[in-house]
Amino acid sequence: MEHKLVIDASNKSFLPDFKELYRYRDLFYTLAWRDFRVRYAQTTIGLLWAVLQPVVTLLILSLVFGRFVGVKTEVPHLLFTVAGTSIWTYFSYVMTNSGSSIIASQQMVKKIYFPRLIIPLSKAVVGFIDFGISLIIMMILMVYYGVTPSSNTWLAPVFILFGIVAALSIGIWLSALSVRFRDFQHVVPFMVQIGLYVTPIAYPAEFAIKQLPSWVSTLYFLNPMAGVIQGFRWSLFGGEAPGNLLFVSIFATVIIFILGISYFNNVQDLMADYV
Amino acid sequence: MSNDVAIRIKNLGKKYNIGKEKDDNFRATLVNLFKKSSTKDEEFWALKNVSFEVKKGDVIGIIGKNGAGKSTLLKILSQITKPTKGYVEINGRVASLLEVGTGFHSELTGRENIYLNGTILGMTRHEVKSKFDEIVDFSGVGKFIDTPVKQYSSGMHVRLAFAVAAHLEPEILLIDEVLAVGDVGFQKKCLGKMDEVSKSGRTILFVSHNMGAVASLCNRAILLHKGNLLNHGETTKIISQYFNSGQASYYFENDENDFSEKMHSVLTCAYVCSTNHEKKGKFYVNEDFKVCVEYEIIEEVDAPIVVSLRFFNEQGECVFLCLANEVQPKAKGKYIAECKIPKNFLNDGLLSVSVASATYYETNYVKNYFYKDVLMVEIIDVLHDNPMRYSYGGPFPGFIRPNLDFKVRSINSIK
Repeated sequence: MEHKLVIDASNKSFLPDFKELYRYRDLFYTLAWRDFRVRYAQTTIGLLWAVLQPVVTLLILSLVFGRFVGVKTEVPHLLFTVAGTSIWTYFSYVMTNSGSSIIASQQMVKKIYFPRLIIPLSKAVVGFIDFGISLIIMMILMVYYGVTPSSNTWLAPVFILFGIVAALSIGIWLSALSVRFRDFQHVVPFMVQIGLYVTPIAYPAEFAIKQLPSWVSTLYFLNPMAGVIQGFRWSLFGGEAPGNLLFVSIFATVIIFILGISYFNNVQDLMADYV
Repeated sequence: MSNDVAIRIKNLGKKYNIGKEKDDNFRATLVNLFKKSSTKDEEFWALKNVSFEVKKGDVIGIIGKNGAGKSTLLKILSQITKPTKGYVEINGRVASLLEVGTGFHSELTGRENIYLNGTILGMTRHEVKSKFDEIVDFSGVGKFIDTPVKQYSSGMHVRLAFAVAAHLEPEILLIDEVLAVGDVGFQKKCLGKMDEVSKSGRTILFVSHNMGAVASLCNRAILLHKGNLLNHGETTKIISQYFNSGQASYYFENDENDFSEKMHSVLTCAYVCSTNHEKKGKFYVNEDFKVCVEYEIIEEVDAPIVVSLRFFNEQGECVFLCLANEVQPKAKGKYIAECKIPKNFLNDGLLSVSVASATYYETNYVKNYFYKDVLMVEIIDVLHDNPMRYSYGGPFPGFIRPNLDFKVRSINSIK
């Protein structure tokens, strides 16, 4: 088979070469699997860490919002919050790691060619460990509280997928931006911290909608995770269906995603010169 | 006609902006957006208007001094970076080895790293699997294959890494001095593998300072100088042009001004001279000469900053390495380090000298600079009136030609 490659300085494309990405799928698996192995290779209590972190976050949030503030929710507050933290923890983990991924693998970027997009994308997989553990905790709590899943549960995977895309889109943006502008490395922990409060994790989204003028609510839902978490929780426990604002989140995610891979594609040719 | 061309390069150029203030800060970019006449970055063309063709099955050596653009060319061909100008057409599957062991992770075992590194280099997991035994065999790592590589010796590490790379099966292979690693035995093995690859009819582009390796492996060579293509053609012709073109001479002045922050000392100039300080590049074997390095200490540290010299022969083999001795100055200021090379020590031939400096802390050292092959010195044989030769007029083998204490005395004298 004749294999031809043309490198043309004047050639620029808007979107990445998806065929090539597919050809490198084995690299995606290997990188994801490497992160998997490495993450728990050195720690002595291994997987226990993955359980401890979400459980502690969950307990603190539930203590502050459920007990101290007294947020009223349709299902027990602990269960309500675990649905939020499960997907939020995944989101913040993937966003942080794929955001710093290019700089973290600069040795590779400088020495070998492969579609750079594989690096941030591969970070989406490791987060599933924590997510899976949170889901198990949630199921245990559902049994404990005797809460039956709603009839919309079949939609839950859609919202999870939507969460994955949201995490990756922001991660891709950050990974490309932080190559050019190292400042962005400092932005990420800040975003995670703020996000914990401006996302309806430990309180229902209606709280925010009722308190704010409608244009601020729209702004609130430009945060993709606002829609993801509200929708995910609705698909599990039922209640009032998310309104039009959900589409604001979906729309925001799609735009961030498309522009993200396009920006990334634009920068990737010169990444080796900057890292 | 175009069927036998593996690589076609047309007017290739690569520009780097080397501004005083790097634009990798967000504010500067924002400011520049609104300011039309932004402070002009200094432009630097690492490659200028390079055009050539490589035929299928050719083994091309790319040679030139430091900063000639060799690595940039290889980086563009391997798609690591994009050219600023020009066009490249490559017919065939490319694999590049700019470094061995890219992506190796010290926590993972040898086995896991083979898969990891293999896929990073562009193999599928299936391909790695089918060559796995061969790779392990070639590396000689043997029973340590399931041990984390952090417990490997550096030699084992390199061998395993090269073994993976050696089992890529591309039609076009781009190599950047990976052979400069490992022990001599392993280097021979690597060169053998490359030779085998080239004999199987594949195209190889090989960047190296090792003229011996270039001469023995490559059928053609390309000479680059400051981003320009000086010449290309038959290997021996190009190599002798490299040695004789005066590209490297007995005097080297450092005109770089891009110093990284880590440096404690910078090179001003270096030269070869006679014992009475006449700068020149040719000496007889029975003549003393000096190699002088002028440098400036720009940051005071509480550790010796030591200049070192490496001498290489025409085959690219290191003849010796020498570190400046006695007390090393630490205070800021300009210094000159002089190394006297005694007469009747080096063999005749052309030698290239690399100049380096490092700061030696108690347990580790930090490189200040390393200039490869910046000086050239020719040692000329003395054929007549040479008591060491008697009537022998042929070449003297060996790296050195010392005049040793080698005397004859009688052990059974007859009274």
